[in-house]
Parts: sequence; C-alpha cells; structure tokens
Amino acid sequence: MAANTDRRRINAPSGGTSAPVFAKPVKEYGYLQSLRPNRTRGPDELRKTFLQTGVVPSASGSAYLEVPTTTTSSQPSLIPPTSSLKIAASIQGPKPLPRSAPFSPTLVLTTTVKFAPFATRYRRGYIRDSAERDLGVHLETALRGVIIGERWPKSGVEVVITILEGDEDTWWGDSKAEGGAGSGWGLLNVLAGCITVASAAIMDAGIDCVDMVAGGVAAITGDGQKVLDPCPAEHQDIVAACAVGYLASRDEITELWLKGEVGADPDTLIEGATHAAMGSVSVLREVLLENIETKTKAAKEGSKRKLEDVEMTG
Amino acid sequence: MAATTAALRDPAPAAAAALTFPRPIFATVAPHPFLQAHLAAPQPSKAPLRANSRTAHEFRRVGINTGSLTHCNGSAVVRLGNTSAVCGVRAEILDEAHVQATADFAPSTGNETEEDAERERDEMESLRLLVPNVELSTGSTPQHIPGNAPSSFAQTLITRVRSLLLSTSLVRLSDLRILYAPPSNPDGLDAEPEPQLKGYWVLYIDIFYISIDGNAFDAAWAAILAALKNSVIPHAFWDEDLETILCSDDPSEAHSLTLRGLPVPSTFAVFEGKHDWNESGEAEEADWVLSDPDAFEETVCRESVCVVVDCTVGNKGTKDGILKSLEKSGGDVVDRDAMKGLVKRAVDRWAEVEKATNTKP
Repeated sequence: MAANTDRRRINAPSGGTSAPVFAKPVKEYGYLQSLRPNRTRGPDELRKTFLQTGVVPSASGSAYLEVPTTTTSSQPSLIPPTSSLKIAASIQGPKPLPRSAPFSPTLVLTTTVKFAPFATRYRRGYIRDSAERDLGVHLETALRGVIIGERWPKSGVEVVITILEGDEDTWWGDSKAEGGAGSGWGLLNVLAGCITVASAAIMDAGIDCVDMVAGGVAAITGDGQKVLDPCPAEHQDIVAACAVGYLASRDEITELWLKGEVGADPDTLIEGATHAAMGSVSVLREVLLENIETKTKAAKEGSKRKLEDVEMTG
Repeated sequence: MAATTAALRDPAPAAAAALTFPRPIFATVAPHPFLQAHLAAPQPSKAPLRANSRTAHEFRRVGINTGSLTHCNGSAVVRLGNTSAVCGVRAEILDEAHVQATADFAPSTGNETEEDAERERDEMESLRLLVPNVELSTGSTPQHIPGNAPSSFAQTLITRVRSLLLSTSLVRLSDLRILYAPPSNPDGLDAEPEPQLKGYWVLYIDIFYISIDGNAFDAAWAAILAALKNSVIPHAFWDEDLETILCSDDPSEAHSLTLRGLPVPSTFAVFEGKHDWNESGEAEEADWVLSDPDAFEETVCRESVCVVVDCTVGNKGTKDGILKSLEKSGGDVVDRDAMKGLVKRAVDRWAEVEKATNTKP
C-alpha cells in the first residue's frame, strides 16, 4: 500500500494511513450489534430507484442511477449504517475505429467499470483492480446480447461506468473472516445497477438494440427464504445470490451470475432475479418516455432559436 | 466527419446567396470565425453574445449540493453549466510512529502570525497531509478515454489544485493534529502535563468529473471548498489501554474544519479576433476576454488568466479583497490595465460563489 508511488498522481504519506477505528463498538459489548441494520421491506419489495438520462451533455448518451438506502440508524452515529448505490454511465461513440485497429464487421464494445476511491467503506485505489475488470466483462456480456452490432461495422463504442457509491459485501460489523463464503454479494447488486444504468445510457445514445436490458438480483438466506433486491448489509446469512441481465419483452437472459450454494433448484433463484429485473424495466420504460418527450421538445425549441440567430456566412 | 457530409448533402441554395451552413456545422468547420461572428455581431441595443448566449463578462451559475456521499467525511457536487464535479473528502489517520520526518511539534499559541502560517504550510507539505486527486476518465469528455494513465491535462490540473491548497493554507494544521494530554506529568512535577502529538488526520480529496464543459479548475475548486466546509472530523483520542488512536462516533463530539478564508478562482480566456477575416478591411482591435470559458471556447482561445481572490479578510465583503494567486499563460493581450479589470471581475465572481457556498441545500 505504501511503497509504490505513482508519479502521475499526488501520493499519500509514505508511511501509510489507516481508516479511523471507532471506540464504542470496540469497547462496549453489545453496542456493535445494536447498530446492525434490518430489512424493513417485504421479501418481494424492491428499493426505490432514481434514474435520469442526459447527465453528460458532451457524451452521446449518459445516465445516472441512484438506489437510496432504506435503513435509518436509530442512534446518532458517524458510522454510516448501510450504503446506497450511485452509478453514472456515459457512452462515447459509436465512432470510427482508429486506422491501426483491425477490421471488425460489427460494433466493438468496450466497457470500463471504475469505483471512485470514496465509493466503499475502505478506500479504493486509482488503478482498476481485478474486481472492477471482472465487473466490466460481465457488463459487456450483458450488453453484447442486446446491441445490434451488425449495423455499426468498423466502429467502436465506449461504455464508461463510474461507481460513486457501491453496495457493501457484508455488514461492516461482521469481520471479513466470518463472512467467508459471503464475500462478494455487493458486487452482484453493483452489476445489476450497472446493467440498468448502461441500458438507459445506450437508449439515450440511440444505439440500435433488440430490447431494453435490465438488471435484477435475488438471494436465498439461511432459512431458505427467497428475497428480491437484497441489501447485503441487512442480511447476515445469505447463502446464494444471483444477478441477471434480463430482456423483458423477449423473456431472454443475456447475463447470469450465480454465487454460493444454490441447492437443488437454481431456477427459483433465477426467476426471482428476473422478477427483480422487471422492476428496473418499468423504471427504464418511464425514463425512455421522458427522454423522448424532452428530445422532441428540444427539437421544437431549437428550430425557434434558429430564427433569432445571427446570419452567418463564410 | 459527419458534419461535412451533412453539409454536402444539403441542397445548395440559389446561386446568388453565399454558401450557408447550419450552426453546429459552422462551429465544427470554422470554430474561430464562428465565435468571432457571434462576438462582433452588430447589436446596438445590447452587449454581444457568445455562442453559448452569455455575454463576455458573464459567468455560469454555480450550483452546489453537499453531503450526499455516505462514506465521506464531507462531500459536494458542483455544477457549473454543463461542467459537473463530485468531490469527496475522506479522513484517515497517520500514526505518529509512521511519520518519517519528525517535525518539531509546537503547540499553537492562539494568536497567529505570518511565520506560524509559513511553518504550518511546510509541515503540511512535507507530511503530505492533503492528498488531492482528480479523475477525468469517467467518460466526461470524448478526449479522456479510460484505460490510459492520467493525461498531462489531469496532471497539470491536480498540481495547480494542490499548490493552491497549500499556498492559501486553507486547512488549519490544528484541525488535523491528534493530541493526547497525559493525566499526570511523567516527571512527577506539579506542572501542567504537556500535550503529546500522537498522529495526524490525512485528508484524501478526490474529485470525479461527471461531465466537463470547460473551466475544470474553477469547478474542482468550488467542489473542494464546499466539501471541506461540509467535512466533519470525528473526535480522535489516544487510548492508553489499547495503545492506539480511537475515534468517537458521537456526532456532537466531532468538529468541522475551520477554513482560512474563502479563496475563489476565476478563469478567463482571451479570444483574439482575426483582423484579416474582417471583409471591410478595417484594422480594428478585436480581442475579447471571456469569463468562465466553456469547452468550445477553450479550443479557440490561446491565452488564459486565472485570478484567485479572497474577500473574507476585512469582513467588508467585496470592497476589501486580497489577491491570492494569479496565473497567466499563452499570450500577451492582457496588459496591466486589462488585468485590473479582470481582478475586479474576479471580485464580483467571489460574491456569487460565496453566496452559493453559504446557502444550505
């Protein structure tokens, strides 16, 4: 952590720094458990989603997704109980591939997923780590299945996802060793969010697709209950979880990521994830309508402005 | 490319009329004449408008939203027209044992002198207590595609931010020190025990651009100011039993940062009109100093000026300002008189930004 310096960035003190340790959970027995968040939603109830397109005017398409946290802590504390999900996506292109690139008969899709350093409870690095690269590959698989690539030969498109705040893998109070197999649940939520927000951005960019792809997550807890849209911090005992990229009107799945011990019947879990994805689809549809309305309005106003403009010839 | 083909496809108007282009195509094909045509347009009633329908002296409105990130001690989202940046401040602890250069610890005497500030600045710089960084490769502009190392633009930007943070001594060292007052004097004397330095808070200040449309520096600085003002540092103390630094999670014990003043930068771009382009042949002086340039204007302007002013010192508002820093590069249009005018414009801007940072969302 400490030794490697980056010449192109401002470096932290070479001795290294540590995240603050709070005294009360360490010293007072029982205080830690009193902070544990609980799921107040029903097992089929999804968190509210905020989605907006057109946040980056210079990009061909962009979107911002926010899933606010539902838990509020009972006691005033500087330790945040759970985190929310905040993701921005921007699409650059489609644009011609550089001359040096080999010929491609279809659209070349590049996806980049990056966590901001302040996205999680522990500071992230500036250079993409393996988890971020993995997310990028999963997202690419999900999107490749919907984009009609043949319509854009010899071109490339960049999908850039920035995670300003990501879901956590477990509740912070449970130490990592105890989590064991439970690590990585948060990434599924992040992937589902990435799929939904990227889908909205692609729609904003006007790239031809067969359908809108939406992300959804479902999980099975220790007592065998199926929960949709789990917030990993609220469940102590997730045994399996699944994230899908789902095409609602074609009833197809372009991306499936299943983790943990599912047991004999994985279908119920996958079905649960598609149900969760249906929730995202309804949000996406509304945003699509809004997007079209504002675009047609802008086109009308644009023609009005033309008349007022200065005559320019050259 | 798309622009030119569209222009060719346009049915040619009557032969008598000159070749005309739609707006975006004119801007792409000939950016310089495009902006000049806007600025030089004869509008006797009002001041000439730029292509983004602002006047030359007009800044974009700042919108600030603070405290939206969960895992930060302080955070802010700043919008400057189409430029938007997110800044997150995170405090971590640097243990005194890991401090390499052992700086002498001098307790602050209460009344600040210039010399104290100088020493503080040195200490902060050598210990690297402020770690600002920017990220441009978030798809914010087509120029910065992820996967590459930080561009020279990003490196210049962050160096400027860091040097301004240090030169203005914005953050007080006393806010970052973690002190320990022993219950009794180890020498066994009756004298008051001296507080010991156990560590420092290190502030990681990360700026993520969501979208860039020119003037990245002003947006970054406004985001930093708002995020630092919003920051809450937990009360940290030395625990004798565990021999480590612990923090209290009680919000009422935490303190916020008290910043030194409120330095606000204003960036200007100088647009040099081309005289030979003018058909009438009159060699009139045609240079415009544009406040708060957007991305399009930055591409056609060579000279840029950045003025940092702070008007909080005299408590007289905009009547009594201090020039904190001045940067100018790329040309020789702005002379001494013009610079005076720019400082005035920067002071007016200071009032706007101050209002925006003080209003709670």
